[in-house]
Amino acid sequence: MPRMLIFPASVLVLYGILYAIYPDKTSMALKSSGNIFLSMLIPLALVFALMLVLNLFLKPAQIVRFLGKGAGIKGILLSAAAGIISMGPIYAWYPLLKQLRQKGAGNSMMAIFLGNRAVKPFLLPIMISYFGWIFVLILTVLNIIGSVVVGYSVGALVREESNSPSERDSAGT
Amino acid sequence: MKIAISTDGTDLEAEVAQRFGTSQYLLIVDLETMSFDTVPNPGATGQRGAGMQAVVLAISKDVKAVLTGHCSPAATRQLTKNGIQVYAGLTGTIKDVINNYKSGDLKESAADVAPTTRGAKIDTITVLIALTSSARQFAMMLPILISVVLLIGLFNAFVPKEFLLSIFSGNPILDTLVGACFGSIFAGNPINSYVIGGELLGYGVSLFAVTALIIAWVSVGIIQLPAEIAALGGKFALIRNGLSFVMAIGIAIITVAAINLILR
Repeated sequence: MPRMLIFPASVLVLYGILYAIYPDKTSMALKSSGNIFLSMLIPLALVFALMLVLNLFLKPAQIVRFLGKGAGIKGILLSAAAGIISMGPIYAWYPLLKQLRQKGAGNSMMAIFLGNRAVKPFLLPIMISYFGWIFVLILTVLNIIGSVVVGYSVGALVREESNSPSERDSAGT
Repeated sequence: MKIAISTDGTDLEAEVAQRFGTSQYLLIVDLETMSFDTVPNPGATGQRGAGMQAVVLAISKDVKAVLTGHCSPAATRQLTKNGIQVYAGLTGTIKDVINNYKSGDLKESAADVAPTTRGAKIDTITVLIALTSSARQFAMMLPILISVVLLIGLFNAFVPKEFLLSIFSGNPILDTLVGACFGSIFAGNPINSYVIGGELLGYGVSLFAVTALIIAWVSVGIIQLPAEIAALGGKFALIRNGLSFVMAIGIAIITVAAINLILR
């Protein structure tokens, strides 16, 4: 079974077991889940629309170009922007970050990138529908500022270590 | 890392097909494990636009390079624009060209810069590609999201509110800490943290805790710590996660304080 389906499958098994023991309560659970999902339909449709727009105008190759380039304010802004527009699971990004590190991108920029993955423009409809736009606005701004603080602290604390022995591969491209 | 090779055969011993757009199959090969997937080429019918269907397929399979006999300038351009390298003019068995690729003996085909595609014009193919990748990203998100919602349903039905309120005491500092811990343990698409956070709010859990959870969900990752250590080094990963944890608590407190100030 693909790894991403293990969790859904476990939930279904759990439902099966609980239904056998407590049919009433489990039906209630299903109904309550249905209601949550219904309330998310419109925000989810907006999420898809935003994803489409982002995919139309941004290419992964461009994000790569953003990261690890430029110093000072420009570097910060580019790393933050790359984190914000990056999509997909974090696992997909580690190999790329490793490669960028080998090409000389600094620790601060890596940390800023990782911190800004919390800001996801295409998920804003869901976030706003749950928490309201004032919350989302404040949280987003503070998160960007916070990620820069964390980024620079990481950069200062880690210093530029000599390349670790794990950085021997990077064959291919 | 995956690459795509055009072929009329179905395994690594088959010859590389001469035309990328109309070959019978695309062999998607994982270079690390050398395992492969034989995918029928939607462009094999040779109809108009065949090449672009093959391009969309290659992009949707997330390959880093395409190896083929010939690739039209238009297809090369689209592939290159999407960060996929194109190596054309190849002959021989798939196994041989992969070995040549691995040893760096192949020369990448340069995409000619087409002035016609510049400017704001968005052609059908770009839309098609964007649609395909959006649908894929969305579909990847859904199984986990639906499962999370189903679990929340179970939680609603089976766990008494008192239980949650016994974990979240109402003390802002303690609640924020608990929220941040919760968010650090779990990981995955942030959308799941919004749904969980939103439902927790409905239960009467404080906004402090929920905010800390949402921030730590993405910026601190205990489950993916081994992967981060492997990619970026132990010291970096530990310091970054530690600082992000503290930052999650700080941001949560400031955010809620600011909101209370604004809404008062």
